[in-house]
Amino acid sequence: MSISSRERFLGICRFERPGDLFLMTPYFHDFWARTLEEWVRQGAPQQIVDNRFRGTYFQLDHIRMLREISLGTFMDRRIDIGGAAYVYEIPPIVPCYETEFISQDEHTVTLVNEGGQKVRVSKDNPEKMPTYLDHPVKDRPSWEEYKKRLNPDTPERWPSDWGDYVQKMNNRDEPIMLNVGGLFGFVREWMGLESLLYMFHDDPGLVEDMMDQISYLEVEVVKRVVKNIRVDCAMFWEDMAFKTGPLISPAMFEKFMVPRYRKLTDILHGNGIDVVFVDSDGNLNELIPLWLKAGINGYWPLECAAANDAVALRRKYGKDVILAGNIDKRALLKGRDAIREEVMSKVPFLLESGGYFPSVDHLVPPDVTLENYRCFINTLRELAGLGALPE
Amino acid sequence: MESYFDTISKAVESGDDKQVAKTAREALAGGVAALNILEKGLVPGIQALGKLFKDGQVYLPEVLISCRAMGLGVEELRPYLSDANIHNKGTIVLGTVAGDLHDIGKNLTKLMLECGGFNVKDLGVDVSAESFVTAAREYNADIVGMSALLTMTMTYMPEVVKALGVAGLRDNVRVMIGGAPISREYADEIGADGFAADCASAVDEATRLMGIG
Repeated sequence: MSISSRERFLGICRFERPGDLFLMTPYFHDFWARTLEEWVRQGAPQQIVDNRFRGTYFQLDHIRMLREISLGTFMDRRIDIGGAAYVYEIPPIVPCYETEFISQDEHTVTLVNEGGQKVRVSKDNPEKMPTYLDHPVKDRPSWEEYKKRLNPDTPERWPSDWGDYVQKMNNRDEPIMLNVGGLFGFVREWMGLESLLYMFHDDPGLVEDMMDQISYLEVEVVKRVVKNIRVDCAMFWEDMAFKTGPLISPAMFEKFMVPRYRKLTDILHGNGIDVVFVDSDGNLNELIPLWLKAGINGYWPLECAAANDAVALRRKYGKDVILAGNIDKRALLKGRDAIREEVMSKVPFLLESGGYFPSVDHLVPPDVTLENYRCFINTLRELAGLGALPE
Repeated sequence: MESYFDTISKAVESGDDKQVAKTAREALAGGVAALNILEKGLVPGIQALGKLFKDGQVYLPEVLISCRAMGLGVEELRPYLSDANIHNKGTIVLGTVAGDLHDIGKNLTKLMLECGGFNVKDLGVDVSAESFVTAAREYNADIVGMSALLTMTMTYMPEVVKALGVAGLRDNVRVMIGGAPISREYADEIGADGFAADCASAVDEATRLMGIG
């Protein structure tokens, strides 16, 4: 009897399918636009820029994210900069800000994006992270203005034909992911990192107020979604760690974030959604036990350069955690031997243990060649007893 | 006198900027030399905070408010001190390498290095090898510090190392690197002298490179 993609996904998350290789796309297998452009130059079909085509080409496993609901963040905002696209994500504000071009020089363009952030973007490669020059929230008065954009009931936040949308989503065979959003991540996008870190000391009440508003928005949207749509997993987005540890202390995390996370995860768990991921770059070792306490049990991308070790995490936390990523992108720069060594040092154990989705430890960067990415996929397929990708 | 130093040191460590400024003013009024206040009050406070950060006892918000407190204290002392008194550990030319516009890590590192007694010349982002060389020469730099966020841009770092060599500066200028994809192995591979995993260890690494640690 054939098994659906959704059943496979949930089976892996519940440690019921050791050895099953589920190469989730989009999200865990995702790519910078320039990577795909480079691959076309290296001989890939032009259609590889299309998500569905790419999934088939590399025999990846699709999930469906509920992009049409404005709650999480998606890399779906685009501004044309001299023929290339500045692609970025913003918190779920409705309405968005008007894009405004401020100035330009030989190499950069300065603009206000739809999130209200003033940024300096590279003309040569607008996808690279910009320099952040200013943010929309600076103090209580600017916050009071900004929060008007965070109303869960704004019609533009929702698909226009809700009934039709619900039916379409519930008829799909693929796993459905609800991008819940974040707490720290959103507030950082509103204020900028340094201002936010000062604010934890200078005006913690304002940080609490901002987190209250975003968790209110998230709770209200999540309640409506899970009442109608069969959701298989949820994804938070935080990016709240750097190379050696979290951006705030565990004590701050417990105080500011755990109770608000719990409001959300209690609803998710109460509706049978027990696969709850968080996307955060940086070293997550101190944060994982706190996220577990908050009801969040899945982690991606587990960046290797930030000392995340999926094998060690599996040994430490057993079946309490679902892991994704942790294949060092720097190995994919080096070639066949390095790729094989990286994969073989981790994936056999992790795949057999279950609860693991192999992927590179972030988006695949443009300096990874098509040949090396195919070598990576083929090494994984070989481990799972599958044939190589067609030439 | 010792109580002034102790109060200032503890206030820097806890990020109490008002207490730092007030006690520094009182100490000056009481006849304590500004250099003593700096070296026996402010510096031990920020050093203690740096150790707590490295030991995982405090986190970036605490580092930021302590640096702010130290900065306020330095401002109280500034009329009585030369810049050489305040930043006496050496000069560092710092920047994010060409092609990379990310500056958050570089800015935090700058803050910590200045608090740690270094004179930092911040070249900003998207800095070319030529600009690093020119600035290193102009400011008579002891160290060139480079940051990169991406695997795509870290490959520019060896070009800067090479350019410093071609300019004849490598005998006198040490090179220190950091950033998300950077490792000690990569630093060794490209001929950099130092590597820092985060902003606090950048102070230690720069101190080591200056031979004063």
